[in-house]
Amino acid sequence: MKVIKDALGYAAESLRTAGLKYYIYCFVLMIIAGVGLSGAVTALAEGHYHSNMSDMVPWGILISGLAFFIGLSAGATMVGLLIHGFGRDDYHPVGTRAILVGMMCIFAAMGCVMMDVGNPFRAMKIPFLLRNETSMFFISSSSYMGFMALLIAELVSTVYVTIGKAGKRGKKIAKVLGIIAVPYALIVVHSFTGTIFGVVKAREMWNTPLLPVHFVTSALASGFALVILVTIITSWVKKKDLVGKDTYNHMGIMLCFFLIATVFLDTFDYLILSYSGTAEGLETWHIFTGRYLPLFLINMVGLYAALIMTAFKKLRTARGLFWSSSITIIAIAAYRINLISIAQLVPLYHELGEIQYVPNMHEVAPVIGLTAALMLLFAILTKVLPLEDTGH
Amino acid sequence: MRKLTRREIVKLASIAGAGVLLPREVEAFGGMIDAIVNKMSEGIKGTVGKDIEIPPPLPGVKFGMVIDLGLCIGCRRCSYGCKLENNVPDTINPPYIMVFQTKYKPGQVMTESDLIDKHKAQGTLKYTRLRHDRMYMPVQCNHCLDAPCTKVCPTKATYKSADGIVMMDYNKCIGCRYCMAACPYGARRFNWSKPVIPAENINPLVPIRTDGVVEKCTFCVHRTRRGHTTKCVEVCPNKARIFGNLNDPDSAVSKKITSERNFRLKVGLNTNPNIYYLTDPKRKPMRWMEPLPLDMNIRGLKS
Repeated sequence: MKVIKDALGYAAESLRTAGLKYYIYCFVLMIIAGVGLSGAVTALAEGHYHSNMSDMVPWGILISGLAFFIGLSAGATMVGLLIHGFGRDDYHPVGTRAILVGMMCIFAAMGCVMMDVGNPFRAMKIPFLLRNETSMFFISSSSYMGFMALLIAELVSTVYVTIGKAGKRGKKIAKVLGIIAVPYALIVVHSFTGTIFGVVKAREMWNTPLLPVHFVTSALASGFALVILVTIITSWVKKKDLVGKDTYNHMGIMLCFFLIATVFLDTFDYLILSYSGTAEGLETWHIFTGRYLPLFLINMVGLYAALIMTAFKKLRTARGLFWSSSITIIAIAAYRINLISIAQLVPLYHELGEIQYVPNMHEVAPVIGLTAALMLLFAILTKVLPLEDTGH
Repeated sequence: MRKLTRREIVKLASIAGAGVLLPREVEAFGGMIDAIVNKMSEGIKGTVGKDIEIPPPLPGVKFGMVIDLGLCIGCRRCSYGCKLENNVPDTINPPYIMVFQTKYKPGQVMTESDLIDKHKAQGTLKYTRLRHDRMYMPVQCNHCLDAPCTKVCPTKATYKSADGIVMMDYNKCIGCRYCMAACPYGARRFNWSKPVIPAENINPLVPIRTDGVVEKCTFCVHRTRRGHTTKCVEVCPNKARIFGNLNDPDSAVSKKITSERNFRLKVGLNTNPNIYYLTDPKRKPMRWMEPLPLDMNIRGLKS
């Protein structure tokens, strides 16, 4: 009881002393979330009629959002591994924030799914009342729930450690959770998210056993980039560095390695596609480099630019990493949209003619609204939770 | 008379505006809330087709179909008949059965790779007149033996029944559209909005679906399991379609498959489709007519 009372006292005090800028920031996020999510309410009442999805392109920006946000959640687990597995104590100030970021991303991913499905209330019956064990959608959506539970447990244990209420056993639990979250996230969550698409033999671009690997590497790159971005922005807002120059340098090296793996897979994926002897493969290549060239360029040029930036030690500073992380996240968002939504533009029968899909505001607004809502939740949680440890 | 200040004008205009607009907004919002509550109730209870009895699968039967491309004239009567028989709303477009105009001539011996043009999008779904010098190709759900859609469905809303029909349980469908992404034949349709069917067109033997669920060809399960043939077979003016039991070697479908040159679509994907296409040249007289019109405004296709 005393712990709860202390926590509530801390939260109240933090909110009372928060400045005007904080409340303006929250208010703006609230407005964006309200406007954006009203689109989701309309879709819930009237169906997805107003969206640009079709029977030809059944998965639009919302499912791309699922893959993107799930990928972003990977960063949380990597920081946990660095702290608990590799003894990098300099990452401690980032630890709890990284878990919170991971949680928000999982919420966002599940929110995207719930806004996308035609019957979200019925979807809540998964996995207990409705299930099909051969479905990758079933396996991954169930794994997201497990991941969320794991992150919540990790958050609680880390907060206990931070406020000094965790004994020896509590610290051990935090350590164990931090370590097991990594294989769970990479092998179960991200691999199976990639497998959702990888098993679909009807779509040339998806049907490859390398897709789960690709999802893992791109998840690590985008997720770690987000953690870096949150660290830098928090440091700027607080006007004090959360981590030192050496840690920024290490973060840059880590991001560089994740980018090498992602760029390698991306490059050869596209290269093989362009040499593909199959009509579907060639048509996918032509769509990527024709009608949707800007998206393709954002993806590839962005990844190479971020890789080059992180490869130079001089650019592994807070400012340099701000740009390379932002570019990484945007490039991987473009990759997700390309892979999931644009790859469906290859007609299943060429007699159907040209298939078109450009997400409209009815699809984009809910994603923006959801992102704003979760940024708001993140802002509140980082304010009311005791995160300000500097190593313990 | 006192002159109104700018502040007072704004205030009065706001009150007048709110008086006019607000009731409508409130009404619209109320309607939206009602729709959401209904959706929640339907989503949880699942009442679609609860009052309609679907006969159980017939023992020892595996349904299949043969489509004779030498006889198909592209009139779209199969597509129309299917739509009316199965309570398919106008908002479902293209219909379950899509008919393509190919660039091949009648009597030409073809393979699948000839028919399905693999080089350039042709856009031959939306033809408006029948041509004597063209062959036509109807495509629909192939009721695959190894159906990818049934494997990927997270709720078993779509499943393979014992008689070979790939069925839908609309009360289990969450509308995730994974089956649509996984189907190599583009055979599934999603209700993007609430389906509306004129009362006089409703077939009481077939359930009316709700918005947010996927639907597809069921080989007219309400007819075929009662010993009738499918509607598309019944309405075909040139008898280009044959339906029957593939397990029975004496059935018309089995005889056609064993005696005539045929192919199935995308066999390389190992889906084992149960629709066979005959390609042998035919010299039978054809009743050429105008095709029934197709709504050209197809969601997702370039207009």
